[in-house]
Amino acid sequence: MLVLEDVCVVRRGTTVLSEVSAVLASGRCTAVVGPSGAGKSTLLRLLDRLLEPTSGRVLFHGAPLTTYDVLELRCRIGLVQQAPVLLGAVVLADLRVGRPGLTPDEAAALLERAGLEGLPMDRETTSLSGGEAQRLCLARALAVGPEVLLLDEPTSALDAVAAQSVERVIRSLVADGLTAVLVSHDLRQARRLADDVVVLRAGRVVESGEAASSEYLAGAS
Amino acid sequence: MTLLASGTHPSVPSWWGVAASVLLVVVTVAVVVREQLGLGREVLVACVRAIVQLVAVGALLGVLFTHTGLPGSLLWVAGMVAVGARVAGGRGRGVPRSTWVAAIAILAGVVATLGLLVAAQVIDAQPRVVVPVGGMVVSAATRGTSVVLLRIAEESVTARRQIEARLALGLPSALAFAPHRRTALRTALVTDIDQVKTVGLISLPGAMTGLLLAGVDPLTAIRYQVVVMYMLLSAVAVAGVVASHLASSRLFDEGQRLLEPVA
Repeated sequence: MLVLEDVCVVRRGTTVLSEVSAVLASGRCTAVVGPSGAGKSTLLRLLDRLLEPTSGRVLFHGAPLTTYDVLELRCRIGLVQQAPVLLGAVVLADLRVGRPGLTPDEAAALLERAGLEGLPMDRETTSLSGGEAQRLCLARALAVGPEVLLLDEPTSALDAVAAQSVERVIRSLVADGLTAVLVSHDLRQARRLADDVVVLRAGRVVESGEAASSEYLAGAS
Repeated sequence: MTLLASGTHPSVPSWWGVAASVLLVVVTVAVVVREQLGLGREVLVACVRAIVQLVAVGALLGVLFTHTGLPGSLLWVAGMVAVGARVAGGRGRGVPRSTWVAAIAILAGVVATLGLLVAAQVIDAQPRVVVPVGGMVVSAATRGTSVVLLRIAEESVTARRQIEARLALGLPSALAFAPHRRTALRTALVTDIDQVKTVGLISLPGAMTGLLLAGVDPLTAIRYQVVVMYMLLSAVAVAGVVASHLASSRLFDEGQRLLEPVA
């Protein structure tokens, strides 16, 4: 479980997050939604310690994030960025960036989990479609064995078909017990995927709770 | 009046010869004025500056060679390192304390090459040798450091998403930045490697040209040139690798986070 307690982030004199408190429950998908500039991506970066709060704290399993070894923490809390970022020349090399000892069998299992079964290990990553590339990023994040997956607008750079394929993978990962924190500006997607929701506006939490009973998400036509 | 100096080596121009070469400045000015390039004043200023600077440096070196000995020469080289550090450090805007990074890198390049060759008595520990050879080494190390710092500063901005993707996989900052650090170092080295490849084919290098002009036998001149060439390549490699490691480590904080780009 991830808990934010009165978290404030001030960057270059601008308050990006203000007194944000939220609980992100284990084994569930929590959508962080809100208009552009609300601080959604900033919140996600805090959870992976790519950013430190100016004040307040973030707890993981009851202990402040700062008490964990940061490298170990980032293996336990994975991040998938908005647009696919491929790091290896071929599929297997990309999967091995975070886990160099990954065997081809383990790699195949990861690809299957990400909905990419049968993808050749020696396929050049530059030849992948947007949807395939983003699912490869998901598989690569899974390779280091995270308990939590942070998803920063993972389908915003994809077409509708590719977005659906990524959504299917996210749904199955959460069903398998993974905790997901999904930042999205797409309220319909949030309704489709999320169990819980945190609504941010101008850096403040204006609503949080179960997605099914969210007034903010209900406003999505 | 002769345009060659009497009593010295015949290939050295006299002061009258130097004055005659001013005609070439007139040619340059004529070209830029005729072509309306708007550079006439700049050409004149550059040429006047060059002669004033060279006369001053020549006089200073004369004093250095005759009165201060090796300590004075080493001080001169240290001064060149400081100037080089300022120039190369300026290329690394975005890398914290880039001038210090450059100073340490250039100094490392100088010590590892010039220091080694002097210690091994491959080249003489005389002011007349240490100052000009030191100048070449500092110049090469500065060039390599400049390229490394420039590329590292650029990569830290343009490749931010890739770097953070590696950090998010639990990689330590040194590994997360390693591909970008190697790119910077490779860029710095290829120019000098190409120069070594083409030496003697495209141009005669400086040290060899100087020795030939001074009347030294060509096969003797190349011995010096080979030493100088390998020394310069190695100075770029050492300065570059030191600069790349120091600069990379300064891009991250203790929490293995890539620093925000400088506004």
